[in-house]
Amino acid sequence: MSHEAAAEGRERAEEDVAAREAARPVPFRGGGFTHRRLGPVAPIVFLAIIALWEVGSRTGAISPVALPAPSEALGALADLVATGMLWKHVGASLYRLSLGWALGSLLGISVGLMIGLFSLARAGLLPLVSALFPIPKIALLPLFIIWFGIGEGSKVATILFGTFFPTVIATYGGVDNVDRNLIRMGQSFGLSWLSIVRKIIIPGAMPAILSGFRISASIAIVLLVAAEMIGAETGIGAYILMAGALFALDQLIAGVALLSTLGLAIAWLIGRTERALLAWRA
Amino acid sequence: MQLILRGISHRYGGTNVLEDISFAVGDGEIVCIVGPSGCGKSTLLRIAGGLERPDAGEVLVAGTAPDGSLNPLTYIFQDFALLPWRTVAGNVSLVLEDHGIEAKKRRAIIDDVLSRTNLSDFSHALPRQLSGGMKQRVAIARALAVKPAIMLMDEPLSALDSQTRELLMDDLVALWQRERFSACYVTHNLAEAVRLGRRIVVLSRRPGRIREVVEIDMPLTERPGRLVELEKLQRRVWEIMREEAREADREISDVT
Amino acid sequence: MFTVTRRSFVVATLAGAAGLVAAGAQAADKINVGIIPSLTSHSPSIIAEAKGYFADQDLEVEFVSFQSAQPMAVAIASGDVDFGMTAISGGLISLADKGVIKVIGGALQETPEIEGQKILVSKAAHDAGVTSPADLKGRSFGITTTGSSFHYMAHKIADGEGFARSEIHLRPLQKVPAVIAALKSGQIDAWSIVPNIAGSLTAGGDVVEIGKVSDYIDDYQVTTIFTSTANTQEKPDLVKRFLGGLSKGMDDYNAALVDKTMGEDETAEIVAAIHEYIYADQPLDKAAPRISTGAMRMSPNAALNLASVEDQLEWFKSEGLVPEGVSMEKLVDASFVETY
Repeated sequence: MSHEAAAEGRERAEEDVAAREAARPVPFRGGGFTHRRLGPVAPIVFLAIIALWEVGSRTGAISPVALPAPSEALGALADLVATGMLWKHVGASLYRLSLGWALGSLLGISVGLMIGLFSLARAGLLPLVSALFPIPKIALLPLFIIWFGIGEGSKVATILFGTFFPTVIATYGGVDNVDRNLIRMGQSFGLSWLSIVRKIIIPGAMPAILSGFRISASIAIVLLVAAEMIGAETGIGAYILMAGALFALDQLIAGVALLSTLGLAIAWLIGRTERALLAWRA
Repeated sequence: MQLILRGISHRYGGTNVLEDISFAVGDGEIVCIVGPSGCGKSTLLRIAGGLERPDAGEVLVAGTAPDGSLNPLTYIFQDFALLPWRTVAGNVSLVLEDHGIEAKKRRAIIDDVLSRTNLSDFSHALPRQLSGGMKQRVAIARALAVKPAIMLMDEPLSALDSQTRELLMDDLVALWQRERFSACYVTHNLAEAVRLGRRIVVLSRRPGRIREVVEIDMPLTERPGRLVELEKLQRRVWEIMREEAREADREISDVT
Repeated sequence: MFTVTRRSFVVATLAGAAGLVAAGAQAADKINVGIIPSLTSHSPSIIAEAKGYFADQDLEVEFVSFQSAQPMAVAIASGDVDFGMTAISGGLISLADKGVIKVIGGALQETPEIEGQKILVSKAAHDAGVTSPADLKGRSFGITTTGSSFHYMAHKIADGEGFARSEIHLRPLQKVPAVIAALKSGQIDAWSIVPNIAGSLTAGGDVVEIGKVSDYIDDYQVTTIFTSTANTQEKPDLVKRFLGGLSKGMDDYNAALVDKTMGEDETAEIVAAIHEYIYADQPLDKAAPRISTGAMRMSPNAALNLASVEDQLEWFKSEGLVPEGVSMEKLVDASFVETY
């Protein structure tokens, strides 16, 4: 439509309306129920809470027995850095986390694929997984000590068991949700069984597996403190337990802050992995 | 290469879906299968390509596939069935990878089929970046890559809007002119059936039986110019189907 | 962890109301005393309550149970519990440093003439040649937590034998039962513990005694009595009455189980009273020997060995487990009992 034609049409429409009665704008009612990105809000809220807390501690509104000042917790962190213990604690915990989580995820994906692919495995293993998943791994700690000793074994095993089950469930759920039409397509082109699993089923289950990773990584961090209850001299969990036993609240808060930083870092890494592996989803 | 279906019957649970269906797809022939919804058209096509086992009857092929045919019976799906995590070229590559073709030759095949379907510029695009019509052309390119003898097309244009459908139908006709493949083409759209089919197999509502086979002895290239005659044919097919379709519409169906 | 019963709440409320109506009426002071039901060292308060020594002091006692000393110390700091007894731990000193609790007297005391805490090793370690505390160099030693009395004892042994404290490998296992399990199964080499637990362990054959803690720590003040700073400042009279009642309970405990100068019937009566709270999950005939064997002396009149307390405090400071600035004055209020 040319500009003249458009303008002419508009004029005609306005004349028609004006002829009948006075025109009013249609009220807008489509607002709300959407989220806008507000970048700096999170850090501002975070800093405001810390500031309020510090002021509360300085003025005595918050008793030092109830909660230490953030600056004291920061001091405890600085001590950790100065003595070099920070790296020992973080290193020990990272070792246990990464080994336990990697083994648990690897085993979990393997078992999840078996349950997803083979009826026999599904019939045999799924009830077992459902029965063992809800058991708090902390309750099994005494058994783990007997089975795996009080060294690194029981710590890695606690985290391994904690991450194994959610990974199994995420994986077989992901396999179940792979588009059957894609599998049928693979069969119709004569793809081998292994090719269908490798090129269609595993990539198709990947979104579910990766969101399973988010959950299992959080569980691994939660279990870290429990894992380091037994015979651990270093590690963030052991540091927190020691701080609790000494009633050193500044160290306790510092340790908890370390744990949540670790959690944030891992969530960020998984986010990056998701963006890299699932770019096709957008 | 010819495809022969003999006395195919099939049941899902207690329901008869297909009953005693026999017909053949000759060399270089397009046979359209039409019928009311739920008559088992898609099931029949899956049986024809060996993706499902019929309860009775047999599916045979006769003649030899053309030289270098990697997958004589090749499907085109309504929902395109593209792997969303692979690029256009990757999706075509998928069906070649299991055949031990060296990388250079594979590249050449992919380039060839993409250029034949006018997709060369999009070889690195992901499916989500493509329109429906483009996606179906990728699926067609993928099918061409394995040099099929018989194409099994399950409502290939039904997920597309009407303009795209027209364009793609022209593409299919042009392709058939060049390749002269045999095809079994399932559709619920009678206009497509009369534009493409050498013969139209009309199925009844469930259980699907052959009501009638309509022959159209008119070259595909002439058809766009003789729409009036096609219109008559289409009406005739619709007359055959009308009552069946009305009854089928009233049934409660849990079978596709 | 601890329970405030509805009854005590109702009583307190009624007492308050009664106070408004008739200010003149003398009601008994209500106090909460923390105990750990798996440790016989908490017996004296139970005896004092059963024998009416607290009632004589016009005190109405409610016992509150804890799994370990740490939450008990926190509950005393918060005022939910008035008095408790525990070994001097890092947690206790930290709370004292914050000015909320004070050590007011001594309880369990190592004395030369009575069997004290033992140094134990696993059968496997013993077979491997750990037959005296000097062999503990390079061996693992079970403790509950960092800064517990076990930690202190391990280091005192290292100091006494002249090897570096770091040469004894500490294994924090959080709870006494966990340490026992680890020692029995040979996952740790050594541990030190009060004689009644040591006795039942060595009797089993999985564990061997290789020494005494008293060889390394002079006149070890094993446990102390403590209360909130608020109590010492605002209710010194209440603290004195509690200590008065408790001292009589301690005397009875010593007479019945340590010196064994008490008559058989009266001793049995005391054991039965203790059994109301300690090892209450076992039948009396099973619990009685565990209560009465290996009992260690209670400090007469709750006298406090300041030298031992100071030695412990210095050790905590030297290990950096408590702030440098904690002084004996912050930790101890010596005005209530005899000190030496």
